[in-house]
Amino acid sequence: MTEELRILIIDDELAIRHTLRASLESSHYKISEAVSGHDGLKKASEFHPHLVLLDLGLPDMNGYEVLVVLRKWTRVPIIVLTVTDDETTKVRLLDAGANDYLTKPFGGKELLARVRVSLRDHGHIEATPVFKSGDLEINLNLRKVAVSDKTIKLTNTEFEVLALLVRDHGKVVPTTLIMKKVWGVTAEDQSHYLRIYINQIRKKIEVNPSEPQHIITEPGVGYRLV
Amino acid sequence: MSEERRLDPDALLRNIKESERRSSEGKLRVFLGMSAGVGKTYAMLKAAHQRFNEGLDVVIGVAVTHGRVETEALLSGLPLIPLKKIHYRETDFEELDLDAILARKPKLVIIDELAHSNAAGSRHEKRYQDVLEILDAGIDVYTALNVQHLESRKDSVEAITGISIRETVPDSILERATLVELVDIAPTELLKRLKEGKVYLGDKAERAADHFFKVDRLTALREIALRMTAERVDQELQNMASVRLEPNPWQTNERLLVAVSHSPFSEKLIRATRRLAYNLEAPWIAVHVNTGLTLNDKDQAQLMKNLNLARELKAEVISTTEIDVTSALKRICRTKNVTQVIVGRPTKSWLRELIEGGSLLDRLIQEISDVDVHVIRKDHEMNHSPSLTEEISHYKSETGPVKYWYTFCFIMAISVVSFAIEGLIGYRAVGFIFLLAVLIAGMFGSIGAVLFSAVLSATTWNFFFIPPRFTFNIQEPDDIILCISFFVVALITGFLANRIRFHERLIREREERTNFLYEILRDIANAQEKSEFITKVAQRVGNLLKADCGVILKSASGELQFDKTNAYGVSLSEKETAVVLWSFQNQKQAGWSTDTLSQSKALYIPMKGSTETIGVFVFQPFKRFRKLDLEQRNLLHSITRQLGVSIERHFLTKRLTENQRLKDSEQLHQTLLNSISHEMRTPLTVMLGTAAELEDDQKAKDFTYVKEAAHNLVEAGDRLNRVIENLLDMSRLSSGILSLKLEWHDLSDLIGVVISKNTKNLKKFKIVTQGLDDMTLVKIDFRLMEHAISNLLLNAATYSPPETQIKIRLIKENKKLILEVEDEGPGIPQEFTSKIFDKFYRVPGTPTGGTGLGLSIVKSIVEFHNGSVGFRNCEPQGSCFRIELPQQEGPEIPTEIQSR
Repeated sequence: MTEELRILIIDDELAIRHTLRASLESSHYKISEAVSGHDGLKKASEFHPHLVLLDLGLPDMNGYEVLVVLRKWTRVPIIVLTVTDDETTKVRLLDAGANDYLTKPFGGKELLARVRVSLRDHGHIEATPVFKSGDLEINLNLRKVAVSDKTIKLTNTEFEVLALLVRDHGKVVPTTLIMKKVWGVTAEDQSHYLRIYINQIRKKIEVNPSEPQHIITEPGVGYRLV
Repeated sequence: MSEERRLDPDALLRNIKESERRSSEGKLRVFLGMSAGVGKTYAMLKAAHQRFNEGLDVVIGVAVTHGRVETEALLSGLPLIPLKKIHYRETDFEELDLDAILARKPKLVIIDELAHSNAAGSRHEKRYQDVLEILDAGIDVYTALNVQHLESRKDSVEAITGISIRETVPDSILERATLVELVDIAPTELLKRLKEGKVYLGDKAERAADHFFKVDRLTALREIALRMTAERVDQELQNMASVRLEPNPWQTNERLLVAVSHSPFSEKLIRATRRLAYNLEAPWIAVHVNTGLTLNDKDQAQLMKNLNLARELKAEVISTTEIDVTSALKRICRTKNVTQVIVGRPTKSWLRELIEGGSLLDRLIQEISDVDVHVIRKDHEMNHSPSLTEEISHYKSETGPVKYWYTFCFIMAISVVSFAIEGLIGYRAVGFIFLLAVLIAGMFGSIGAVLFSAVLSATTWNFFFIPPRFTFNIQEPDDIILCISFFVVALITGFLANRIRFHERLIREREERTNFLYEILRDIANAQEKSEFITKVAQRVGNLLKADCGVILKSASGELQFDKTNAYGVSLSEKETAVVLWSFQNQKQAGWSTDTLSQSKALYIPMKGSTETIGVFVFQPFKRFRKLDLEQRNLLHSITRQLGVSIERHFLTKRLTENQRLKDSEQLHQTLLNSISHEMRTPLTVMLGTAAELEDDQKAKDFTYVKEAAHNLVEAGDRLNRVIENLLDMSRLSSGILSLKLEWHDLSDLIGVVISKNTKNLKKFKIVTQGLDDMTLVKIDFRLMEHAISNLLLNAATYSPPETQIKIRLIKENKKLILEVEDEGPGIPQEFTSKIFDKFYRVPGTPTGGTGLGLSIVKSIVEFHNGSVGFRNCEPQGSCFRIELPQQEGPEIPTEIQSR
């Protein structure tokens, strides 16, 4: 990659901006900072960032509103930083077009991992149809799943679920999204379908299904493949 | 010896209460005179001027000068509140402008002629009621009064002057007065002024009695006025004495009882008793015994008047239902420790008394041996026995003329039958058949109908059967006796049968009333919501007493909420609203059928709880002209009271929960402060200390030190985060606004998540899981349950030594899911185990700080899921926490999985 990747941080807290800048610059990203919602919207159009880190609590306008305004004209990946551990908020953010979220407090490693995932999705980092993580290898084109080079047989539905996770690997995939794409239902009390399939898939691809290494449960929101 | 006597605490308290009451209320000064013309108004205005010159805010409400020059001169200089014009039935009246005075709120207001009756359409019937309201508003009042207008002196004055007095005020108003000033002149002087034309002679009635102003009469009136004042002075002295040293005779000595009926004579009895009680300083009771008589409107009104009079004169009024007056009185005498009974001289004829088993007086004396009985004579004009028709009218039933028609048909049928069989049995036997018919009629008909049947039988038998036939002549003495016996039989059976029927009716009514009250109580007890039972009870009362009923409640801020009225049945016009407000503020009933604002459509009764008035009960009768009898009134009052207490109880429970919540949040606040000082500062100290060290160049170069410092920083941050999370959870859970997001989740997955999230804190321990290999679908709020289990694991980790085992066990029992977290720590001493799930509770002697919230959060969350928590110490040592969740019906399994 010849071009330097630009990241815009929209947060009113100086300390947070400092920390974020420190970890991101050490990974050679170019940083711009905005201290308010309006400032952020302005900088987004001037700085042309490849990714936006958006804090939910801003002094002048709600971070959610900033997200909505940004989504009207740009598809730039946005990661929301929030202090609430409340799943309805998270789902609402994802629905409004956020690519991912991070709950404060979070560590530097987690931040960098999420940033990489979001950049990759948007082609800034190369994506392949082959997902490899530890002993697990999934090739979407060939519909092939292997653990420690041993091919695993999955049912159609199982593969469909897994494929959804692979396409957005590293990112949280909301339960409702999977339900809609695989079964075409949105009712939340149907969620046991998914629980059962996840359990089946884990049994097949995880070494220890009760301590999963690949399919991570995101409480109340969905699943993440790592 | 008097030095040794202690002050009576009760008397002191009473005095303090009295003076407290008085200090918030206006002071009343009464200028008392023996008759018109003694110069009361003059003296009053003089005093007012004096106060005005002292700089007091004095206004004149009413001053009647009758054109006397000296008096009128005194009016100038004092501000006047103009009289209010009241238009009623095409006539204009001028009355005291009560509202203007209340709005103006002067310090002192002058109101002449206390005994005046207000024109219809005014708020109160009598002016003294206006004065009482003004006093209640904290405004002082000067007023003038003639002694003949005092309720208790009315009889004496009437006897002396021969003039009947219509306008009276209750004596209790004098007790409200802080000062009673006697305006006195010698009768000869008054007569002299009269001759000079300086005296207004009062209204027409008084003027007509030209013998009013005679020296002897005036002297008698003067004596009454002087005695009145002297009694008052005496009373004040007594009050002071009782507070100081004297033992209080009030509770111990005498207790009087007066029997009250619907007779106008009862008024006199009541006044006599009150006089006696006043002189004896004894409490007194007025009793009315309802024997089931049907009273006409006039009698009903008189009874009300009597009881109201007794109430006004500060008697305890008891109304009871019993067939036998004597036994009722006996019962009350015993329960109330009555020492003296006052009754009227019996008026019934000796014959009636013989039938009814002796007069009330005789039986009282015979049966109640431990009381004194006073007998009060009747005035001559009252001294007529009630006539037989009057007496009978009380026993008449309400079915009307239809009974006479039935009786007529019955006797005619008997006649026809008798006519047919007379040839066989002879006319004498027919006479006995008629006698039988009268007897039968007596068992079913009213007294009138029975007498009617007797007359009809006698004439029919006489005319058609007794020879010579078709004449009214009777020759045989036997036949005359038989004819007379028709009437005797009719009277006796009619009277007895009616008595029995009355008795039955009485019992039935009592039962109905009891049932009704019971139903209302049940409504109240069964209702969950306040509004629910209010509507029900209002409807019930409305159905029974034929009225629209409703309730207007006080809001939390203490004001009546009119907008809700519609929900409880009745809608009110603006004018009615004012009556409701008045009733609420003055805590007195008002409106229809009362003395206050009686023009309004409905009766308003303030609902009193045990401590405060909580609203107003609205009773709007379907027909304005009907009246409530005593029973119905009592019923209405007891229901209102019951409602008041019940609604208040609901208020109180609500307030109690609010208080509890407040207390909790206060404690949460306190805990937050404590946490800040300890739980938050500890990790902060670590962070700040470590960071300061890192600023040191030397140390920063030491790679191992930096590593360790980073580790310490992370750990401290985690700890801080945990405290915050617990506090947030607790406030969210106890705020009551939390709603569960129930979805199907895999409990095994959830436990996996908890373990992986807490790896850092658990890495020193050996985590063992049991029963988690298979998936366990359960409908839960994932995030909440995650917190609960996380708290249990962290709890185990905090209190167990490193390198020990923490077991997580999932057990499926029938319809139950049991999750146990077991550690190998020291366990918890048995005596503390019952409290460990309480909010803010920390087991004494536990080492590090903590909020005492962790386990109570677990409990709240599990209970939100209809589950329960438990604890036991396990062998050989360690704690075992247990969560039990109900296992719901399993979800439908997708077919693709089922098939395999």
